[in-house]
Amino acid sequence: MSLVDSLPYQVPLTFGRAALRVNRWRAERAAPRSKSEHLAPPLKISPRTKELIARHYLEGRYANRHRKVAWVTSGAPVELLKALDFYVLYPENHAALCGTARAVEEIATEAEHAGYSRDVCSYARTDIGAMLSGKTPVGRLPKPDLLLACTNICQTVLFWYRVLAHHFRVPLIVIDTPFIYTEATEHAVKFVQRQLEDAIPLAERVAGKRLDERRLKETTRLSKQASELWLEIMARGKQRPAPISVFDQFIQMAPIVEMRGDAFTVDFYAAMLKEVDERIARGIGAVKDEKKRLLWDNLPIWYRLRYLGEFLAARGVAIVASTYTNAWGELAPFIDPERPLASGARTYLHPILNRGTGYKLATMQRMVAEFQLDGAILHSDRSCKPYSIGQIDQRDRLLREHNVPALLLEADHNDPRAFSEEQVANRLEAFVEMLGV
Amino acid sequence: MNTSADSVPPLPHRIETIRAHQARGGRVAAVLPIHHPRALFRAFDILPVEVWGPPQVDATRGGAHLQPYVCSIVRNALAYLLSGGLDLADLIVVPHTCDSLQGFASILIDFIHPAPPVLPIYLPRGRRASDVAFLAEEFKSLYRQLAEITHRAPSDVELMECLHREEEADARLADLYRRRAALPQKDFYRLVRSREYLPAEKFSEIVGAALRAAPNGRSQGAPLPTPILLSGIVPEPMAVFDALDRMNAAVVADDFACCGRRLYPPGKSDDPFTRMAERLLTAPPDSTRDDAIEDRLQHLIRLTKESNAKGIVFYDVKFCEPEFFYLPALRKGLQAAGIPSVTIEIDLNDSLSQQVSTRLEAFVEMIA
Repeated sequence: MSLVDSLPYQVPLTFGRAALRVNRWRAERAAPRSKSEHLAPPLKISPRTKELIARHYLEGRYANRHRKVAWVTSGAPVELLKALDFYVLYPENHAALCGTARAVEEIATEAEHAGYSRDVCSYARTDIGAMLSGKTPVGRLPKPDLLLACTNICQTVLFWYRVLAHHFRVPLIVIDTPFIYTEATEHAVKFVQRQLEDAIPLAERVAGKRLDERRLKETTRLSKQASELWLEIMARGKQRPAPISVFDQFIQMAPIVEMRGDAFTVDFYAAMLKEVDERIARGIGAVKDEKKRLLWDNLPIWYRLRYLGEFLAARGVAIVASTYTNAWGELAPFIDPERPLASGARTYLHPILNRGTGYKLATMQRMVAEFQLDGAILHSDRSCKPYSIGQIDQRDRLLREHNVPALLLEADHNDPRAFSEEQVANRLEAFVEMLGV
Repeated sequence: MNTSADSVPPLPHRIETIRAHQARGGRVAAVLPIHHPRALFRAFDILPVEVWGPPQVDATRGGAHLQPYVCSIVRNALAYLLSGGLDLADLIVVPHTCDSLQGFASILIDFIHPAPPVLPIYLPRGRRASDVAFLAEEFKSLYRQLAEITHRAPSDVELMECLHREEEADARLADLYRRRAALPQKDFYRLVRSREYLPAEKFSEIVGAALRAAPNGRSQGAPLPTPILLSGIVPEPMAVFDALDRMNAAVVADDFACCGRRLYPPGKSDDPFTRMAERLLTAPPDSTRDDAIEDRLQHLIRLTKESNAKGIVFYDVKFCEPEFFYLPALRKGLQAAGIPSVTIEIDLNDSLSQQVSTRLEAFVEMIA
């Protein structure tokens, strides 16, 4: 691409990036203030998070003019695409962003009007609604040249990506990861590795370039480093008081999901870990008067993060660990940068969502012990069946066999129409009372 | 015995079939939807008996383990199991069909621990060479588990014999579909669905007799019924066929997961495991196997044209995400092809409601 040709891309991007940097500097200079008297001030890294996310979508806005674009599922082996210089968009993250921006009702309605049932996943409805209407809080989404769906988080993504492939008329790569009821079989690992190998020629053809093995190893190394740092940050929640809450983690997890394999993501989490350690040294807790500590299971309720955080903090309850945020770190030990495809097959087979309900219960029990938790909130998420089925038994086991108070909270991760504030408040109030706060 | 029109021989009841098989020393597997290797079970003298719900059970027991947003096929299956409905089964087999059946198998294995062993099977979401190879390996793994349970080790020759019997039964099923007009539609579906529990050889025998006895041409008299195509997972309640009869509508083709989507062609490989995998992966397009929307659309258009159907009824079970995702694009594509369609949601525990009947009737009147 010549200099002249690149101007329509480079000029707005350069100005946009500069504007975002200025915004961050301004936010960093202002003393962070808590929005609630019961919560610590927001992390100082927060303006940088906002800048990273805004920059990511800014680049996406102009990406079609000079890069190949891939839309991928959150558990997809993105290292392959990063190594081929794709701009990578995560529709699930975009949907969550719509959730925090309270834009879901309007956007998802577009999909419902087109015939998509309200019984299908609200992330999918949000993104299909955005695809059909162009409505998005980020300005504009780039069109995909390639789609990559990995079944390790749910089967929903398969059907969702079939809709995308049909609409955009672009190739879809499916990486099918057989569900692990107890242990992964060797033929399942081989199957995933073969699919990763088979995906390369198509991805190369769309990218218009050959995959550089050194680049793939480097991207994989960066993914591993970022995942390890994220895991370390979450482990700091074992401190009393916990320096960050799960609500902070939900906000700060965007880069580990959608910017894995980038050097700046490693730098970001290194800086975040430093800040968290500073908080520990100064005895700062995410909840000012931490009396009880809880576990969160399942996806967040994106459109009520602040409400839930403040509601619980006002009662001295801190949610300090989560099976969901943990999922983005616990795979780090599987990653071997020297064997990106072989280790990738095992890594991408093993997310918590691709493992049995017993494994999830064991994870919860381990976290309850390690983080010294007083109870658990299990978000029964009508938009995420693979995460939610099993929760009734998991809650019963936590209660009966491990004496861990546990609450099943009915909601939806992205659709506010499935959230009854009064009912949730009543149930939380009763649960907190039972904890003896 | 189930008896019906003169042209259809009496069908053995499910329970009679199970007891007869067990009396001969055989075992029984309760198999959840949708695709599974019948021949492999038969090689171990295990009769696979499918569990599609069943409809009209007290589902409250299922609610003790499953949230209300799980479909009634899965909730009913669990309720049925917990109330002793599967006590005759020697093993429970759960193909990985969707997220709900995945969760069902997982809570059985981890928490509920039913007396019979629970064997999940992972079905790949594609028709690539790698999918066939994986599925063949998955069947070998299932073979080892069945060998451990039964202390038998059928040879490749025995496996092939069983496979040929299943292929013969599927050929008879295809014959039945070709001559469906000769049978009353409810009888036709009773016969088709007896494949869910009858041994292949018995099924072939009964279908053969039914086709020999059936008149040539249509079974019903004038006036000519309005031809429609039904698509969905399972035609329950079966009363829908009585309602269609009253509306003078005839189902001339179907795309049901438990019926038309299981018209498995014969395999090609000489290796029994690969052949079983080939058969399952070359069946008609299916939402639960992640087929492309365009493939499903073309399949529906072809079925409609070949059968002269005037419209399609998407008759789906509530909360069935695999089906729901495809509907808008399918209906848009069908509309572009001049094929009207309507969607109807059902729950296995509901009888055929007036609302469903009215929607069906309005649609039939519109296309007639």
